[in-house]
Formats: sequence, C-alpha cells, structure tokens
Amino acid sequence: MENLISKKDLLETANISYGQLYRWKRKNLIPENWFIRKSTFTGQETFFPKEDILQRIEKIKSMKDDLSLDELADMFSPSPSVTSLSADELTKRNIVSTTSFEMYTNHLGTQLQYSFENLLSLYLLDRLLQTGEMNRSEGIDLLNVLHEHLSKLKSNEGELIFIRKMGVSLFILTLDPTNLFIDSQAKIIAQYKMNSCIEELKLKLS
Amino acid sequence: MEKTVQNNIKISGSSSVGGGVFNQVKINGSGKIISDIECEVFSCNGSSIIEGNLKAETIKVSGSADIEGNVTAEEITVSGNSEIDGNLDCEVIKVNGSASIKGNVKGKEILINGTSNIEGNVSSEEVEVRGQAKIKGDCEAEVFISRGNFKINGLLNAGNIDLELLRHCEAKEIGGENIIVRKNIENAGVKKLIKFLVNQSNDYLTADVIEGDKIYLEYTQAKVVRGNTIEIGPGCSIESIEYKETLEIDENAKVGKQNKI
Repeated sequence: MENLISKKDLLETANISYGQLYRWKRKNLIPENWFIRKSTFTGQETFFPKEDILQRIEKIKSMKDDLSLDELADMFSPSPSVTSLSADELTKRNIVSTTSFEMYTNHLGTQLQYSFENLLSLYLLDRLLQTGEMNRSEGIDLLNVLHEHLSKLKSNEGELIFIRKMGVSLFILTLDPTNLFIDSQAKIIAQYKMNSCIEELKLKLS
Repeated sequence: MEKTVQNNIKISGSSSVGGGVFNQVKINGSGKIISDIECEVFSCNGSSIIEGNLKAETIKVSGSADIEGNVTAEEITVSGNSEIDGNLDCEVIKVNGSASIKGNVKGKEILINGTSNIEGNVSSEEVEVRGQAKIKGDCEAEVFISRGNFKINGLLNAGNIDLELLRHCEAKEIGGENIIVRKNIENAGVKKLIKFLVNQSNDYLTADVIEGDKIYLEYTQAKVVRGNTIEIGPGCSIESIEYKETLEIDENAKVGKQNKI
C-alpha cells in the first residue's frame, strides 16, 4: 500500500491553509485522483499519496511567484504545452545535450519539427545517458521502445523501468504505476514516472 | 460543413429541417433539427428539438428547447424550459425559467434565477443562485453566492462563498477561503418581509464537512468544521470543530468537541 498522508497532517507539514489547498484543486494543480476518501473513527477523511502531494506542493510554492496559477496548471497537466519544436531551436535552447541529439538523429533520422513525443524520447535518452546509468547501445534500445510504444501511453500515469541482469538490459514501459518484484540477480537501474518526466521537460521548454 | 452562403432558418408552423451552418435560426412554432447545427443567433419561442449538438453565439429559449447533444455558446438565456442531454459550455449562462442538464456545465458567469437541475459538475468563475439549483456533482467557482435554495451532492469548492439561506440548503462538503453563511442579510427588502410572514425556522444549511480559512456560520448543521478563524453564530449544531487561530461561539449554538491545532 502506498504511503498516505491525511489532509490535516498535510496542511501542517506543508504549512498551507485549507483555502490554498481548495484553490489549487480548483485550478487543477492537484489531480482529482489524489484525493482519496476513507472512513476513519472521526468520520470521512481525505488522504493523499504522501510523496506525490508533498513534491507537488513544494513545486507550486516555489514557482507560484513566477508563474500564474493557470500557467502552473498547464505545466502539471498531462497534455503538452508545446506541440513541436524545430531542430534549430532544440539545439539553440540547449534542451538536450548535442551527443544525445546526434544519437537520436543518427538512429531515427533528422526531422524539421520535433513533436512533444519526440522531445520526450530525447529528454529520457539524455537523462539516462547523463546520469551514467545507461550506455550508448542501450540508448538505441530505449529509443526503439519509445519510438514504438510512447504514443500508446495516453494517460501518462505510466512508468519507464530500466532493468539489468548479468549485463543484459531491458526496458519496460507501463500504462499504470506499478510495483515490480524481480529476480534477486536483476537490478532496477532506473524507474521514472512519466508524468514527472513530462513536468520536468515542460519546465525546460517554458 | 461548408459555410458558403449565410442562411437563415425560420420556422413558424411545424417543420423538421436538417442541420448545418446558419446565420439566424428562429423557431416560433414547433421545429425539429435532425443533426448538428451551428449559428450566430438561435432563438426559440415555440418548441424545438435538436437531435445533435448546438453551437451558437447567442441562444435564447423563451419556449421550450430539447437538445440531445452538447451546447456551446457565448451566452445562453433560458426563460422558458430547456433540457440538454450533453454538456453546456458557455461564458454567460442565465436561467430565468427552468433548465436541466445531464452533463457538465462550464461557464464564467452563471446566474440562476429560476430552477436548474444539473447532473454533472459545475465549474465557473462566478455562480449566483437566486432561485433553486440542484447539482449532482461538484461545484467549483471563484465566487459562489446564493440567495436562494441549493442542493449540491458533491463538493462546493469556491474562493468566496456567501450564502443567505432559504429553506433547506445542502452540500456534502464545502471548502474554500472565505465562507459566510447567514440566515438573513439586513436590507433584503421584499424577501425579508416574505421570510418574516412565512415560518422562519425552516431556513438552514446542512453539510458533512466545512473547511476554510475564515468561516462564519449561522443555522448550520455540520459534522466537522475546520478552519483558521471560525465564528459559530446562532442556530448552529456542529459535532466537532478544529481551528488554528480563533474560535467564537454564540450562546445559541450547540458545539460538540472543539480542538485548537
């Protein structure tokens, strides 16, 4: 079971008021499905997935002075804010490293415009390469997986999981958040939530 | 759909026409439109059935209109009777007669002088109820004002909530920044007189949970009230209160547990 936090504890930990929480809910900064209703001995109470909500509130609090609530809502919404970017802009704005970009174009060819989906593939490739978790040939495997299946992830609730066992690597894309139980010799190298990757990418693009 | 020539439809007798793109659509008799329709002005003084979606700049229903799809408009005024099976998405919504909407309602300014039955959710910048509103889902607004009667089966979430009670008002949960619930507002004129003549003890609000930054309540029955500064006025019956800064309780109010957090 996921770690939950009650509304009362949340307000105290995050130091926000009821009014703020309700306003952010109205502005769709906090997704509806994070409000989990449960009966307790004091009656109905609302709980939240602890890690997600605390992270989200931290982000809202740190960015609300620079961005309007509507702009923030755009950023958190699963639909892309930027639909496409030209190759020129992509390199000029330094969104991904040139190495990753070259790898992408070598493998999938050059395009005039890069759609949000392409950008997300590029971003994931760049991130895994930069953290040193993945080598170049695995990068090609990653691009293949993303190229083939990324468009099927409609809800963006899914995850990208990278597993290695005895030098053999494997990528898994899921539709929903998952808990994986794997062989003791295998190792989960990386497990990324798609929606938080999208948020980070949007932040870079904005 | 091609918009070649700007056409008008005018039905004075009884007739059934296909949809399309038009300039003005006016139904005085009884009319049926058998597919989607798009126009600048849609007005219905008689009775109409639209077997599709309706998109218009202005919609005026003085008779009766039955729309089987979604409605999108800049402004809709229902003085007669209107039934919408889909969603209503419209900047300015005025209901003087009766409107029932099976889907969700989205607007900027919603004014309900008559009666409305909404089965979905409502979201708008402003909602004002002077007649009667029934909402099966949630209601979200920056400002929610009621001088009439309402029943919300879900959450009423608004920045400013200002309620003057009429008969039994009801919401499952209420949340927001400033919440004010009063039985009577001074200088309410004719309504005050009517309220004085009719039995007054029937005006009250029930809610399971009320949460806000600043809360003032009168004649409210709630299980839990939580907030920063809370004032409980006369006629309230609250099972438990949690507050952060201040709590004032009128001598004519019943309060169970109270906790300062």
